[in-house]
Amino acid sequence: MNLDAMLRDKRVIVLCGAGGVGKTTTAAALGVAAARAGRHVLVLTIDPARRLAEAMGLKENGPEPTTVPLERLYADGPHGEGRLDVWMLEPRIVFERMVRKLSATESAARAILDHRLYRFLSELVAGVQEYAAAEALDGFLADGHYDLILLDTPPSRHALDFLEAPGRLARFLDDRVISLFGPDSGRTGRLWQGAQALVGKVLDGIFGGGFAQEMRTFVGAFGGLFAGIRLHTERLREHLTSKDAAFLLVTSPEAAAMREATFFRDALQARGLPFAGYVLNRSWAREDGLAPAANLKPHANNSADNDAVLALEHLAGVEDARATAHRSLLDRLAEGLPLGALAIAAPDAGADLEDFRGLVNLGDALTVA
Amino acid sequence: MLTVKSRAREGATDGGVVLDSLWNRRAVLVSGKGGVGKTTLSAAMAVAAARSGRPVLLAELSPDEGGPSTLAALVGAKEAGAKVVPVRPNLSFVRLSAAEGHRQFLEETLPVKWLADAALRSRALRRFLEAGPALKEMGLLYQMLTLVRRAHPDGRPLYPLAVVDLPATGHALALATLPRSVLSLMPGGPIGRAVREGLDLLQDPARTGVVLTSLPEPLPVSETLAMARELKDVGLPLTAVVLNRMPEDPFTPESRAALDRLLETHGPHRGQRALERLERAREARKRLAADTSVPQWGLPELALTGTALVERLAELLLPTLEEAAPAGGREATP
Repeated sequence: MNLDAMLRDKRVIVLCGAGGVGKTTTAAALGVAAARAGRHVLVLTIDPARRLAEAMGLKENGPEPTTVPLERLYADGPHGEGRLDVWMLEPRIVFERMVRKLSATESAARAILDHRLYRFLSELVAGVQEYAAAEALDGFLADGHYDLILLDTPPSRHALDFLEAPGRLARFLDDRVISLFGPDSGRTGRLWQGAQALVGKVLDGIFGGGFAQEMRTFVGAFGGLFAGIRLHTERLREHLTSKDAAFLLVTSPEAAAMREATFFRDALQARGLPFAGYVLNRSWAREDGLAPAANLKPHANNSADNDAVLALEHLAGVEDARATAHRSLLDRLAEGLPLGALAIAAPDAGADLEDFRGLVNLGDALTVA
Repeated sequence: MLTVKSRAREGATDGGVVLDSLWNRRAVLVSGKGGVGKTTLSAAMAVAAARSGRPVLLAELSPDEGGPSTLAALVGAKEAGAKVVPVRPNLSFVRLSAAEGHRQFLEETLPVKWLADAALRSRALRRFLEAGPALKEMGLLYQMLTLVRRAHPDGRPLYPLAVVDLPATGHALALATLPRSVLSLMPGGPIGRAVREGLDLLQDPARTGVVLTSLPEPLPVSETLAMARELKDVGLPLTAVVLNRMPEDPFTPESRAALDRLLETHGPHRGQRALERLERAREARKRLAADTSVPQWGLPELALTGTALVERLAELLLPTLEEAAPAGGREATP
């Protein structure tokens, strides 16, 4: 399968990789290509570089996905059927919606949302971005509005955490922690009550009495949502392990990024998720087909010209060495790929990627590879 | 090998002043987005400082405490754990651990030892400290603070200089924003006090310096400028920006002008990509200089990886450190 077919057939493509390898740019370029091929596409992204956001006409922190204007999507020809929406994920909004959806009543939702500690939850619990990404993805997949969703995961090793019972949020709301703070669970027995009293003492000692009490009311209220959160996670897992899903690993030629790619590949396999291949970004693995630097003819007896050609030849030598190294990296990635998975090099777009045209070109280059 | 007049070198030497001022701080925090060579730079700085005779603690602050440690491997540390291990003369390594910080905190905070022991035995409480809002970061900060405070019997600090490799992921500033978050959550009580003390250290430009690592490309520079603004917002003292992997520039101004003329007549030739990269690097330096007021310091791109790269970069940093040493005055080991 090539990327073109993947963009036509899949319902969800998840991009994983280390930070700084160009996941967001790749997600955006693939989204542009899929939309221009006629699909109704959503690119879900987290914290994109500001200029990339501008290139896509993206509002920062909007509450809803933004539609890329057709004049921009089809700047070079007639408007097609495809549509491209982009949403820069805002964990706060995703969480608030989730709380409302999962709470039995409006007042139960309010009890959580108005709690003083709630304001800190999405800011402070690490893994919230990952969890919010999962929650948003689940929501969009469930409502079926889009043909294809491209998810740009947060740059962290824990990007796949959301597939475990929901990551760190879950650990925070772990049954044991809930029992620590939650209302009396009905358990009696002297040992249990003794333990509770001890814990109360410790907590008051560390956090001050007020905080422990606040925590108690908050965890009590939030604990009720836990079953719903688990359900969403299960549903998402089903979607992501199906043949409608594909996971692409994005890497740059740097050793650290390559190690992360290997890590993610193992993590995907361990979780039974469909690994679809590698995109090698920021590499010079592709030929540029230019004439050798030595073909430049200096004007006779002009020493600056001579120096210039020598220096360019030197640069071309550096470039060649780098390109050769990158090609052997690509070969290494291609070795032992599962059937149907791909390893492709993206062209090194350098500075060009800060406008929409650059995304169109990159998308085209990736899909004809 | 062609000998060409190189201007890349000037990039490697303008860090003298920067290092001199970093040298006298207690904590140097190395930050930057992923993939910019931040961890390699942390290792090289620590190795260089140790070689020039200053006792250094190289500390890793990783969100993934259990995984393999790239930083430990780069300096040849045999273990990567919460216990400080000696690596070579003047250089020790530690991977900061939230659990270790919590333990130290509980022992120092709770009035009696049995209560601390009981607290540490409670799995629910351990869970909560691990996962509760900002508590993990608080544990990491607390261990760092404890290590910085550790002293010889005569009062001299055991680790006069700590080089801290901050996490690369989205929350590189988690440590910086943590004190504020914790203080608004729990302004009173022992946690608030401990965190306020950490904040005093982090925000004091005489004791703490932040080095932002970047690459000479447009997007990394944009991100670095955004991080510089965020640092300012949380009151952390930005001390220097390091541009890593500066490409070698083989041109003189004359030969560069000549090349532009030739290419204009004959169209692009091989070496074009390297040429464009060189242009982006030049642009990156200009933008950083225009938008930040701190010194900028470039490190050359080298065809090395791993420990070999660390040692070579340390060698490049060493001369400036040795120059700086007499001015520093405190580094002489008995």
